[in-house]
Amino acid sequence: MSDVLLECDSIVKVFPGVRALDGVGLTMTAGSVHALLGENGAGKSTLIKVITGVHTPDDGRLLRRGEEIHLRSPLDATRAGIGVVHQERNLIPGFSVAENITLQNPPSRRGLVDRDAMTAPAERCLAELGLDLDPHRPVRELSVAQQQLVEIAKALYTESQVLLLDEPTASLSPQEAEHLFDVVRRLKERGTCVVFVSHKLEEVFAICDTVTVLRDGRSVLESAPLSDYVQDDVVTLMVGRQHSVTDMTPRTVDPTARPALSLSGLNTAAGHRDVSLDIRPGEIVGLYGLVGAGRSELVKAVLGLDRVTGGEIRVDGEPARIRSPREALHTYGIGYLTENRKEEGVFLEQPIVRNITVTVWKKLARFLGDISSRAEKDVAQDLVDRLGIRVSGLAQNAGELSGGNQQKVSLAKWLAAETRLLVVDEPTVGVDVRTKHAFHELIWELARGGLPILLISSDLTEMITLADRVLVMADHRIRGEVPNDHDYDNMSGQIIRIIHDRAHPAAAASNGTP
Amino acid sequence: MKTAVKPPGSDTARPTDGARPAHRLPFWVNQQLGLLVLIVVLAAVFGTLRPAFFNERLVLFPLLRDVSTLTVVALAQMVVLSIGHMNLAVGRMAAFGAFFAGFGYDRLGLPLVLGLVLCLVAGAAVGALTGWIIARTGVNSFVVTLAMDFALLGLVPLLYSACTENAAFTTRPAGLAELRSSSLADICLGPVCGSPAVPQVAQFTVLALAGLAFLYYRTRTGRELLLTGANPAAAELSGIPTGRRVVLAHALSGTLAALAGFMAAVGTGTFRASIGDDFMLPSFLGAVLGGTLLTGGAVSVVGALLGTTLVGVIRKGLDLLGVGLESLNIYLGCVLLLALSADRVRTVVSYRKVVRST
Ligand SMILES: Nc1ncnc2c1ncn2[C@@H]1O[C@H](COP(=O)(O)OP(=O)(O)OP(=O)(O)O)[C@@H](O)[C@H]1O
Ligand SMILES: [Mg+2]
Repeated sequence: MSDVLLECDSIVKVFPGVRALDGVGLTMTAGSVHALLGENGAGKSTLIKVITGVHTPDDGRLLRRGEEIHLRSPLDATRAGIGVVHQERNLIPGFSVAENITLQNPPSRRGLVDRDAMTAPAERCLAELGLDLDPHRPVRELSVAQQQLVEIAKALYTESQVLLLDEPTASLSPQEAEHLFDVVRRLKERGTCVVFVSHKLEEVFAICDTVTVLRDGRSVLESAPLSDYVQDDVVTLMVGRQHSVTDMTPRTVDPTARPALSLSGLNTAAGHRDVSLDIRPGEIVGLYGLVGAGRSELVKAVLGLDRVTGGEIRVDGEPARIRSPREALHTYGIGYLTENRKEEGVFLEQPIVRNITVTVWKKLARFLGDISSRAEKDVAQDLVDRLGIRVSGLAQNAGELSGGNQQKVSLAKWLAAETRLLVVDEPTVGVDVRTKHAFHELIWELARGGLPILLISSDLTEMITLADRVLVMADHRIRGEVPNDHDYDNMSGQIIRIIHDRAHPAAAASNGTP
Repeated sequence: MKTAVKPPGSDTARPTDGARPAHRLPFWVNQQLGLLVLIVVLAAVFGTLRPAFFNERLVLFPLLRDVSTLTVVALAQMVVLSIGHMNLAVGRMAAFGAFFAGFGYDRLGLPLVLGLVLCLVAGAAVGALTGWIIARTGVNSFVVTLAMDFALLGLVPLLYSACTENAAFTTRPAGLAELRSSSLADICLGPVCGSPAVPQVAQFTVLALAGLAFLYYRTRTGRELLLTGANPAAAELSGIPTGRRVVLAHALSGTLAALAGFMAAVGTGTFRASIGDDFMLPSFLGAVLGGTLLTGGAVSVVGALLGTTLVGVIRKGLDLLGVGLESLNIYLGCVLLLALSADRVRTVVSYRKVVRST
């Protein structure tokens, strides 16, 4: 353990109102996987941005093999052999997969970009991740998880000595994450240092060997061997006190109640065939599937954003034609917490108040359509308190919050709306352990209060904690249903069997047709 | 590097739950305040160099009349900028609206107010049509309004030549001449009369400013317009009828453009096709100087007034100093660049200051 590639020495970074980093150190050793842990807003992403030249530190030094370096831009960092996958997506939607992957160093011939030469390296990077994607497809058409994988492929392409991964597995299912871990292990053998940020501690303990824990911008544990700790120790360090998981009050669903939402034989323009599902009051129905299974697309079609070509939607037993999310919200009381918070969830350049109250303006508006800012602030403050969102003021822009807190803001907007049915799509992506538990309790309590909830998640543990039954979707069809017995091994075995039974013949068929 | 601040007793535990104090940027980073100061300073400088600058009837009255009109033009642009669109046809929409006012007075014999109403309705209609095309086809507003500009460029002169002999309506309804030349001096409350520098057409500007301020700062619709501009996809998924907001913004823009066209026509006394020819640049200038973002999601209603006033004051002042038209534009460019960079410097300086105190 001697070959130190890169070292941070008491880094300080201050934003108005927040000391995001307050004397943090981090040692990156060749051939190791370094876990960077901390709660939402602890400063993990900020540290990564300092190391990659996005932010200039206000104090402290960055040492590369013992020599101090100054990074003026992300390009400087790339040249210094530092690769990164940021927490938020940074792909160019109109460019193809191959163009995005090779963006930092496009193969060129006589000063012109050589498009054909792009395909081979892009395919190699994708293959390493076990991803079968057409490199010529525009990134815009990909799902969130696929984009995430493309972003990782992009970082692999630069072949850096230090690779920083900021929550790379946040929207991946365990199967996809496993591919990534194989890659990480291979890189480690080649002598790369991988810094890995994740809120999923099982993953961290599976692949990391060193750990740094941040709390409120300081390191409470610096570059220590992970094998000296168990999960509970790490959680205690992150939270700052004992964190205990309480059991949730049992919940019962009346199976004879009229479904709040019922789809029967639904076909959509996005390719769904014969999708049927019922959600009863107080029930949490899980919808599980791999990348590209079409779960979010199904919800969007139901909300009127894509064409429904056949079948029937019933809301509270009445046939419904939902033409827009607005109608879904105001007429049918359906809320949809989107999975893609940067593009579809929050308004980054807008104050937190507006982000939260957008769904209730209709209710708050008085005779002339005017809204009292007092009433608006009350609604927002109430939710900020309830969800423990870490803000420096309600007028702060949502874009300045840490990733997990942004996620809370986008959930807050639907809680404010008091909908009669809630669709939550990857609700705890990028949310820390304590908050995740709080989120789960919240969702559970909402259901206990009678709210029907459709839960879409790639996090199997989350599914098994919350759902009453799990529907498994693959290739735009529902392939099976598993009642939840809250036994992880049994459930994951059953679910994976359903997916694999179908995925193989389907994959073979899709390979056969061009 | 920067000032290194180690807080005293840095090992005492800090609050772990969102209990950090709110730090706001200080009041003097306000862009509008900066503009106001700049306007006052420049006016004082021009006034000292050329005392005639403060001549109420000969200098200030025409200056404020122009500023009144151009402020409405800037507002017309601001409304579409708020949803992240732009309107390259402001000038031609003004001409289109003014045509209907002239037509109303000349052919239909309408009284002053009804002609204005007809003008505004025409502007709203053409604006709504533009917005509808954008919302339906999803084509960029730049392209659609540019096409609209060309269409109107052909249509308006055609309408004039079809309806008039010498390409202008000269019939003036009762009250038009008064509206053109009267100032607050003609309005007296007992012995106290208003200033002869403030033209009566400014009432339209004040109304437009007040209406838009109410819309953007107080109402649901105004907020929805801003969010539509900030992130259309998220807005749609949050239940905002983005399509309708796009149509509304363009209709409002058309209405305001038509109002500006009417005011310009009142100023010159004739309704002709060339009205609004020079509206496009000032429309962006006023709005953007005032603090409206080109990318949508943030507007400043008062800023549009201040931005336009600044440009007006500089023009008038340099004109009085005898600067020729070409050099006038060079000076104007320099001052504007200065105004915008001063704003940036202020923001950076104050940001550092807040950071240091954190
Ligand atoms: N551009 C910015 N302006 C102001 N404050 C910021 C900015 N970026 C980050 N912060 C603040 O810095 C703190 C640390 O944020 P950071 O994004 O590093 O957290 P994180 O540990 O990555 O959290 P998460 O797990 O939620 O991603 C937060 O309080 C956040 O609000
Ligand atoms: Mg982060």
